[in-house]
Amino acid sequence: MDNIEKELRTVIAKLFEEKKIDLVIGYTKGTLPLVSTPIFLKEEKDVDKLIFDVSCGNNLVKYLKRHRIVNMKDTKVAIIAKGCDGRAIVQYIAEGQIKRDDVLIIGVPCEGVVDPKKIRSKTNGKEVSQYRIEDKKIILKGNDFEISLNKSDVLSDFCLRCRYPNAPLYDIFITEPTKSVGTKDEYEKVNEFEKLTSSQRWQYFENEMSKCLRCYACRNACPMCYCEDCFVDQSNPQWFGKGTDLSDTIIFHIVRVIHTAGRCVDCGACARACPVNIELDLLNTKAGKEIQERFGYTPGLDPDETPAMAAYDAEDKQEFIL
Amino acid sequence: MQYKIEKNDISTLIDILASVYDLFGPVKTDGLTKLARIKSASNLDLESFNTDESAKDIFFPQYETIFNFKDGEIKNEFDKNRPIAIFGIRPCDAKSFLILNKAFNNGGVNDSYWNQRYTDAMIFAIGCNRPSQTCFCNWVNQGPFNKEGTDIFLIDLGDDFMVESCSSKGDDFLKNVSKITLQNPNPGDLDKVNQIKREAEILMSEKLDLAPLKSILDTQLLDSPLWNEISAKCLSCACCTYLCPTCHCFDIQDEKKPGTNQGSRVRMWDSCMFSLFTQEASGHNPRPTIASRMRQRIMHKFNYFVENFGEIACVGCGRCVRTCPVNLDIRGIIKRIKNEG
Amino acid sequence: MKEWQPKILAFLCNWCSYAGADLAGVSRIQYPPNIRVIRVPCSGRIDPIFVLKCLENGFDGVLVSGCHPGDCHYISGNYVARRKFAVLKAILEFIGIEPGRVQFSWVSAGEGEKFAQVISKVTEDIKELGPAKRLVKSF
Repeated sequence: MDNIEKELRTVIAKLFEEKKIDLVIGYTKGTLPLVSTPIFLKEEKDVDKLIFDVSCGNNLVKYLKRHRIVNMKDTKVAIIAKGCDGRAIVQYIAEGQIKRDDVLIIGVPCEGVVDPKKIRSKTNGKEVSQYRIEDKKIILKGNDFEISLNKSDVLSDFCLRCRYPNAPLYDIFITEPTKSVGTKDEYEKVNEFEKLTSSQRWQYFENEMSKCLRCYACRNACPMCYCEDCFVDQSNPQWFGKGTDLSDTIIFHIVRVIHTAGRCVDCGACARACPVNIELDLLNTKAGKEIQERFGYTPGLDPDETPAMAAYDAEDKQEFIL
Repeated sequence: MQYKIEKNDISTLIDILASVYDLFGPVKTDGLTKLARIKSASNLDLESFNTDESAKDIFFPQYETIFNFKDGEIKNEFDKNRPIAIFGIRPCDAKSFLILNKAFNNGGVNDSYWNQRYTDAMIFAIGCNRPSQTCFCNWVNQGPFNKEGTDIFLIDLGDDFMVESCSSKGDDFLKNVSKITLQNPNPGDLDKVNQIKREAEILMSEKLDLAPLKSILDTQLLDSPLWNEISAKCLSCACCTYLCPTCHCFDIQDEKKPGTNQGSRVRMWDSCMFSLFTQEASGHNPRPTIASRMRQRIMHKFNYFVENFGEIACVGCGRCVRTCPVNLDIRGIIKRIKNEG
Repeated sequence: MKEWQPKILAFLCNWCSYAGADLAGVSRIQYPPNIRVIRVPCSGRIDPIFVLKCLENGFDGVLVSGCHPGDCHYISGNYVARRKFAVLKAILEFIGIEPGRVQFSWVSAGEGEKFAQVISKVTEDIKELGPAKRLVKSF
C-alpha cells in the first residue's frame, strides 16, 4: 500500500505542476482509526495528505456532480477511483450526467475496504487506536489488546464478492491494476434468502426495516441517488409519510431499490452509511441479479451501452404477464 | 449521600424498578447497543461505551400520534402508562434531558407530550470509566462523572457499584428500597472512585474552551465562505441530527386514511439537514444549500440555543462523530470556528 | 355470512385494455365487480410508486394492463413498462408480498372475452390470498 500512496502523491503533484488539474477528490486520514474522510485537494503542497488504504470506503463519485456543476464550472477535476467509484463514473456517463472529458480518472488498485461493523464485532466493541496491514493480515491495537486478523474477516461483504476491483475507465492508473477479485458468490446471500417462504421474508424485512430512522444516509451516500428532488422529499403531492411508520419505511426502501435497479454499482456506500446496521445490500443485490439474469446487463462497465431500465428488447421475457 | 451496593444486587434493583416503572436499559442487539424495554437484568449491557442511538426517543418518540380524528371528532389517546425509568444511560444523555426540557417548556408553552413522559421519570445514570475516542463532554462543561439530570448516579467499582442520590426523587427511592443492602463506603472505596475518575480523565480528549464560540458565530460568521468549506463533504443526511441527544426539531402532519374522514395528527422528527425542512409552499427555499443548512445546525447548537436558554445544545456524546458517513467531525468544525476568532 | 370481497385497483391503458373493458361491457360479458378502474394513457405511465401507494392505502390487489407487445399506441411504452414490471414484481415478491397481489396483463381492444377472464382470474387469486395485510398502513 505504501507504494500506491507514494506513486499517487507523485503523480498528482505532477498533474498540479503541469496545470492539468485544479482539484482532486481523494481520501485523507480521518479523525478515527480505520476511518478515512474525503478531501478536496486544491494545491500541490497538500498532496502528502492523500492516502489510499483499506479505510477508504466512501464512494467519491457522490461529489462529482456537486463539484462540477454547483460551484466550479471551469475547474479541471481529478478523482481517485477504486473499481466501484470507476463504475459509478461510467454509469454517470452512460446516463448523460457527465461527459467523459469532464473528469480525469485516476485508477487505484483496490483490494477491498474494511467494514467497521465487522471490526467492532471482532474486537467485542473495544476501540481500535492503531492498525497496520501485513500482507493478508490486519493487526489491530487498542488500549489493552492487540489482535491479528485475516483481512478477509473484516473486509466489507461487497468487497468479498467484488468482480471489478479496478476502474473500467481511467486516464492514469496508479501502479498496476490488481488481479485479486472477490471470491464469494455474488448472489449467494440472495439465493439463500429466496429459499425462505414469503412470510419468513416479510418478517425478516419488517424486523430489519423497523430499525430504520429515515435519516436517508443510504440515499445520500449513494452515488446513483443524484436526483435533485427525491420522491420522498416531494411534498406536493406527498407520496408517502415521512415518519417511521413501517409501511412508509419499507416502501421508501422498495422504491429506492427500484430507482437504482440496473444502476447500482455494488459499492456498498448505503450499507456503510447506515447508522443502525440495516442489511441494505440484500435488496440491491436482488435487483442487480434480476437485471443481470433478465436483461444481461451489468451497470457501470460500458459508457456507451444504454442502461437496462432505459432500454427494451421486443423479445424480453414476459412469463409473468397474463 | 453515597452508598455501596454489591454488583449482584443490580438484578434485584432491576426487578424492583421493572415492577414499578416502564423500564428501559441498554441492551445489545444486532451488533448495536440500544435502549430497550427490559424486565430483568439478564441482557443488560453496561460494558459498551454508549448506546448507538440517543435516549431522546423514550421521551420524545420519533413518530407519535398527537390525536386521532374521525368525522370531525377528536380523540386524544395518550393513555398514561406507568412512569418511565431509564437504567444505565451515560451522563451525557442524562444531561441532554435537561436541555430538551428547556426547549419543550419555554415562553409559557409546555409540551404536554414531553412532560407526560419526562416529569415523573427516574433516571439512573452510570459514570464512564472508559470514555470513547469520540467523547468530548469535557468541552461542553460536562464530564464522564457529571451528575446533572440524574436521579441516581452509579459508579462501577469492579465488584460493587457506588450509588448516589442526586435528587429528591432519588432520595425517596433509596429510602424506600428495602431488598438491597446499602452499605456505607469505606475510605478505600472513595480512593478507588477517585482513581477511576483520574483514569477516565486521562482517556478524554484535551479540553477546549467553547465560551468564545458564541460571539464568533454571532458577529463574524453569518455570511462567511467558511460554511462552504466546512460543508464541502457533507452529504446532508440526518445521521448527526437523528442520533443527537439534543436535536429536537419535529414536523407535524395529518395522516388521513384516503376516502375517509379518519386519521391521526402525528408528530415526527425532522432535521435541519434536509432541504425539505425549510421548503416553503411557494417552492422557495431559504436554505437551499448544504452550507446554509450546516450553518443552521452549528448556529442553533452553539449560538441560538445559548442565546435562548443560556447553554450550548451539545452534550459531547460523540455520536455524530462516530456515525457520520464521511467522518465530518464536529470537533474539527468547532476548532475551525474557534480559530476564526 | 357474506363472502369477503377484495378491492382491486386496475390501471388500464387508454388504447387497448380500457377499450377491451368497454367491449366486455357492451358485449354483456359477466366478470366480478371487484375492480375499480383508473384509465391511464399507456401502461408505460405506471410508476411503481402508484402500485405501492395502492397497497399502502389498503387495496387488496393491483392489476396493470396494457396493449400487447408491438401494439403500443406510443410504439414502445409497453416494452419499457414490461421491464419496470419485471423488476417491481421481483422486488415485491422478494420482500415478502404474496405473488398474485400485483398482476400484469396485455388485453387488446378486441379482447372483451380475455378482459373478463383476466379479471376473473385476478379476483380469484386475490380472494384466495385473503385481505392484504403487508404494506397496508394503519391510519
